[in-house]
Amino acid sequence: MDLLSNLGLGLGVALSLTNLFYCFLGALLGTIIGVIPGLGVLAAISLLFPLTFNLEPTTALIMLGGIWYGTTYGGSTASILLNLPGTPANAVTCLDGYPMARQGRGGVALFMTTVASFFGATFGIVLLTLFTPVIAEYALRFGSAEYFALMLMGLVAASTMAEGSAIKGLAMVTLGIIIGLAGMDTQSATIRFTFGVLGLLEGVSLIALAMGIFGIAEIIMSVRRIQAADIDPDSVKLSAIKPSRDEVGRSWFPMLRGSALGSFFGTLPGTGPSIAAFLSYGIEKRINKKPERFGKGAIEGIMGPESANNAADMTAFIPTLSLGVPGSATMALMLGVLMIHGVAPGPNLISGQPELFWGLIMSFWVGNIILLVLNIPFIGLWVRMLTIPYHLLYPSVIVFICIGAYTANMSSLNIWMVALFGAVGFAMRILRFPGAPLLLGFVLGPMMEEHFRRAMVLSRGDFATFIERPLSAIILSLTAAILIWGVMGASNLRKRRIVPDTAPDGPSNS
Amino acid sequence: MKKLLLTAALALGLAHGAQAQEFPEGPVTIVVPYSPSGNTDVFMRHLAPSLEEKWGQPVVVDNRPGGGSMVGTAYVSQAKPDGQTLLLTSSAFVTAPALQASLPFDPRADLMPIANPGFVSFLLVVNGESGYETLEEFIADSKESPKFGATAGLGTTTHFAMEQFLAESGANVDVVHFKGGGPAVVSILSREADIYGSSVSSAGEHIKTGAVKPLAIIGDDRIPLLPDVPSTKELGFDGLNIKQWIGLFAPAGTDPAIIEKVNADVNAAIQNADFIETVTPLDWTLNTSSVEGFTDKVNTELDIWKQLAIDRGLAQ
Repeated sequence: MDLLSNLGLGLGVALSLTNLFYCFLGALLGTIIGVIPGLGVLAAISLLFPLTFNLEPTTALIMLGGIWYGTTYGGSTASILLNLPGTPANAVTCLDGYPMARQGRGGVALFMTTVASFFGATFGIVLLTLFTPVIAEYALRFGSAEYFALMLMGLVAASTMAEGSAIKGLAMVTLGIIIGLAGMDTQSATIRFTFGVLGLLEGVSLIALAMGIFGIAEIIMSVRRIQAADIDPDSVKLSAIKPSRDEVGRSWFPMLRGSALGSFFGTLPGTGPSIAAFLSYGIEKRINKKPERFGKGAIEGIMGPESANNAADMTAFIPTLSLGVPGSATMALMLGVLMIHGVAPGPNLISGQPELFWGLIMSFWVGNIILLVLNIPFIGLWVRMLTIPYHLLYPSVIVFICIGAYTANMSSLNIWMVALFGAVGFAMRILRFPGAPLLLGFVLGPMMEEHFRRAMVLSRGDFATFIERPLSAIILSLTAAILIWGVMGASNLRKRRIVPDTAPDGPSNS
Repeated sequence: MKKLLLTAALALGLAHGAQAQEFPEGPVTIVVPYSPSGNTDVFMRHLAPSLEEKWGQPVVVDNRPGGGSMVGTAYVSQAKPDGQTLLLTSSAFVTAPALQASLPFDPRADLMPIANPGFVSFLLVVNGESGYETLEEFIADSKESPKFGATAGLGTTTHFAMEQFLAESGANVDVVHFKGGGPAVVSILSREADIYGSSVSSAGEHIKTGAVKPLAIIGDDRIPLLPDVPSTKELGFDGLNIKQWIGLFAPAGTDPAIIEKVNADVNAAIQNADFIETVTPLDWTLNTSSVEGFTDKVNTELDIWKQLAIDRGLAQ
């Protein structure tokens, strides 16, 4: 059995004392970086990158990999407890995680997101183990037209994810896209919306935007609250983390769908955990029979995204290792580790460096088990954060956000951007404009544009390319179906509003 | 008065001499305007230990990516010209100004070339199943049905490699830009684009499996890693000479004595056996350079690429 011997070989590598230590170190560091809002995985890995010169490439990758997926594990903690996303990929977890915490179910939320993270990661690792070469081959079928269609589908599917007015949601998506336009255009090098500021050539930093809109705005809003006791710390004691049977039942399908979605987006270079989490939320809300529960502490709203972003973390290694194409700046660093040690990533990696490939994959298993074991007892510790008075906690959070934004690309401009987006986010809160659609537009917009422009160049200006290419046509028809479904759903909703519901809500909807 | 001026000049000269001998006066920061793990960054990190040994001071690699290297370059152009802050950048230094009318620095006036320690050759690659055996076949076929040429981004050296090839060969190819060398290679694998001027490291593994086929090495000579692939000069294209090089620069106004010293130290550092052993598998061809020679090269290339951009209708 070839696979079994490979797994055995990998396990042998992953369980060596050195590798186990670095795996633990990575997972622990990742969790801490994830929990602290603002501190980003890219900055952390960039800082540690030079240290990996003196490590074996496998060991170095095991440690950096641990940081990478550990961050997404830890990132949900602050989202749930403080309404401050630990990383941009966890921003959407605020939507239902924080309401759960306020209802005294923070412990349940923390426990369940850990389960969802583990589930999603496991799903991703299985794909990574069994299908890496197949998936890499299949990812090649996605050209620019398909990417554009996919991004459009994402935008449509997730457009209704926020609570409240649809027009406000739409306005925020548009604003997000406009902010995403800043910087240098890829096909013509035209410089847009930089106002002569050099640091904006690369566009607005995602960390600065996410931390400003979600983090700083939340902190300013909290000025009105006086003490820390907003959430009862007792509610998140270890004994209070047990989910109800109903909650467990409602979690299975969101986890499965989230994992599948996350795995898919992870394999496509350029997309990744943030987009996967957003879409998973959008889809869960759309197919749920009671979408009105979302935003008020629906367990589906945290299980889907948290399994999606962790699955995407894992499958992001597929194009990186088997094609040599990094999907993100962080993955480029992972590639760099290999190149520095003279290991060429690409189709020959699996056969040429079996110890490295299988050792790394087995270390993901080990790392995820470490994270599971690490995170559940930590719940009690994290919850202690809530007992810290706001006037002490929040200034330190602001400091971390500023450090995180600065280290994202070593630019003090980012700190100003955090302040600016904090003010924008505060205004949005007061006027009840949702933040999540803005972030979605910002993440998807520039990719949509880039791929649209390239698809048009490649079709020599023929719009038909989007429906002539079969994959793109399929995705676009799905998009149309989602759109029609959404419109019909909305008109049903209106009918329901006109004829008031006489039946009381189910008992689950407390 | 004359005498006074002379004395002052002498004193200044002496002061300069003394300063150069004292260089470096503390940790030397070398700004790399690319992310960690990029080609340029890796080269610098391998070079740093030899320089530290020479200088007896820490060499700090400071990554300041952005704007296709422009952010970090502009940063160094405004740094204090005392040799303590230097720039290690790629040939984007001479290609990007050809496309961008408003740069935040003047590449001729604001930075002083020091050394040109290495370069990477480009290959023209096509998909392994495309059926092309020679570059001539590709050029001929492109005139029948137009093709797409990939680049790793507008204004990058790969972009100019493609444009120079098209200008020389008359192939009928539309240029399409991707975000980085990885996606550009993928576009060849997926046959979204037909030809790409790649570095060996970007395409290397795919050449081994046969998924990507190299048709020619751009330049005068073959390369040791692919001894069977002809150079473009052999194929009759004399004017193709583009290389992805890296160069060390200092802010304008730096004491020429310091520049000379750093040049000599870099030339010595690249002779280090460990260094050679680690970077040559990464396709680098190491190069001993003089300050004067490199300055000429920079100025000539700034003109060449500007002219090419004008000829190909790229300049803004």
